[in-house]
Amino acid sequence: MPITELLIGGLLLGGLYALMACGLNLIFGVMRVINFAHGELLAIGALSTVSLVAGFHFPFWSALLLVPILTAAIGLVMHKLVLQRLAGAPMIMSLLATYAISTILVNGAILTWGGGYRGLPGVLSGSVSVLGQNLSISRLVAFAVALGVSLAVWWVLEKTRWGRAVRSVSQAPELAEISGISIEHVRNTTFALGAAMAGLAGVLMAPTFASDPQLGVRFLIKAFAVIIVGGMGSYPGAIAAALLLGVIEVFGGYFTGAVIGSALLFLLMLAVLLVRPRGLLGVGART
Amino acid sequence: MMKPIALAVVLGLAALAVPYFGTEYALSFTMQLLVFMILAYSWNLIGGYTGYTHFGQVCFFGLGGYVGALLIQNAGMRWYFAVPVAALAGAALALPLGTAMLRLKGPYFAIGMFGLTRVLESLVLGFDSVTKGGTGLYLVPLDNLRPVYYALVGLAIVMIVGTWRLDNSRLGLKLLAIREDEQAADSLGVRTTRLKIGTFVVSAIAPAAVGALNAVYLGFIDPPTAFSPVMELTTIAIVLLGGMGTVLGPLVGAIVLSVVNELLWARFPEYYLAIVGTLLLLAVLYMPRGIVNLGMKRGWLPAGRSLFRQLAREGGRGRPPVAAPLVPDEAKRAEA
Repeated sequence: MPITELLIGGLLLGGLYALMACGLNLIFGVMRVINFAHGELLAIGALSTVSLVAGFHFPFWSALLLVPILTAAIGLVMHKLVLQRLAGAPMIMSLLATYAISTILVNGAILTWGGGYRGLPGVLSGSVSVLGQNLSISRLVAFAVALGVSLAVWWVLEKTRWGRAVRSVSQAPELAEISGISIEHVRNTTFALGAAMAGLAGVLMAPTFASDPQLGVRFLIKAFAVIIVGGMGSYPGAIAAALLLGVIEVFGGYFTGAVIGSALLFLLMLAVLLVRPRGLLGVGART
Repeated sequence: MMKPIALAVVLGLAALAVPYFGTEYALSFTMQLLVFMILAYSWNLIGGYTGYTHFGQVCFFGLGGYVGALLIQNAGMRWYFAVPVAALAGAALALPLGTAMLRLKGPYFAIGMFGLTRVLESLVLGFDSVTKGGTGLYLVPLDNLRPVYYALVGLAIVMIVGTWRLDNSRLGLKLLAIREDEQAADSLGVRTTRLKIGTFVVSAIAPAAVGALNAVYLGFIDPPTAFSPVMELTTIAIVLLGGMGTVLGPLVGAIVLSVVNELLWARFPEYYLAIVGTLLLLAVLYMPRGIVNLGMKRGWLPAGRSLFRQLAREGGRGRPPVAAPLVPDEAKRAEA
């Protein structure tokens, strides 16, 4: 029964997209900046996981903690050194800046890890039977952690004081500042959190997918498609769209072949841009 | 008014003389410089004047290269017919794309064009029955590369003169108005959507033509060179370093970056992306107006646009702006 198999495969992929897209969306919400270096944070996350586990023989669970801290630190440095200084500049400047950072990070990753593919065979190997399908444990763990963390961050945004501050900065920065919220603090922490989520997505993919320094771009485009279909700035929209697009990608790849399949999400994104630019669950475009 | 023309004549003559007096190395250096210059002038139209972040120019470069190479190889077309067809193909792709993405403001365009390049690359890799996939297409080398060289010189002159004319026209001011405040421009009667799409389509023509010319010149095309991220990055760095939305910016930037390119690419190819990325980053942070605007500030170049200077001399129309509003405080726009 390929339908069930494809559906499950798509959802498992969608969980990773959700984690990545939510971080991107969070950063976009408070900074009004598309972080073009987000994919590189994911690639660095995946490659440093391979190094930690295969090279230094750390247990895999320790990478789940250490690697997000590393990417959060990179994100914080990025924000402090570059993006914070561009706060009042036109949007084109911050876009160019994150784009420049992404090329620097790609180059750094190639110098550190070489240009080839690296994998983590044997980590979380084995499979379990779910709904009559054999699913690898690594993919199930990746899905569960990715979706769990995405939902947890959503809960934090909705229920905690810090989350309220983040939402108010993203909805009305001036009013938030008047109300005594430190915009700088919110932006710093949000950027670090978004970067940590990208790094965690990298850790989770490392056992399943072969990783290389160019990995970031491929996933970034999919994360873009997710936040556009889900609605820019909408957190539940991004989670729903991530699962939907994961399924569409897997089904599309199965029925139309790899060539069309790879372009499918992009075409879907274009269609959404034309028909309903604020996305399926978007709360009105604030561009 | 005479100054730009004189400069153009001198540069034009120098460029025309290179194949006769220069060495093989000088010729290939000038070719590279011209390719980057034309790409930079095209990027300047949409990125510099209209203010839209364009991360996908190289997709028109690659499309043009493949259309040109396939026409030459499969249809037996001569290169001087294939190149204009490739240019038209660039415009034909840009029209629906621009219509889809430029109706929306802000970051959508940046995302869409960034993604398109990778999608096109994977399509070219995937349809390997036509494009030979990753092996690339080999063209029969031309005996004489001079005509290709002159075509590049001609295209570069068209781009420079065109930009100069644009800079001193109402159309140019309308584009700048879109960059500064799109809503305000719209409410003043500037047909922003139509102008943006038009500019985008025009800015896609030359890169497609250059892509085809480059493929003819190299005699080879494959997906990594056709859709090269290095090409994209270098073009943007050229415009930003030289000065976005200026006539001389792309020219100055192309010369500076080509020299940097020659010095670094040969010695540190593995650091090239990071070095150009750092240059771009430093320019964004410390010199966002570029060399040309710095020159205007220091008095090396006449300040502002000559149209404004002319208006100021005539003294008509109320308060004559003496210096052009080069990049005024755009904080509001960034937040809006």
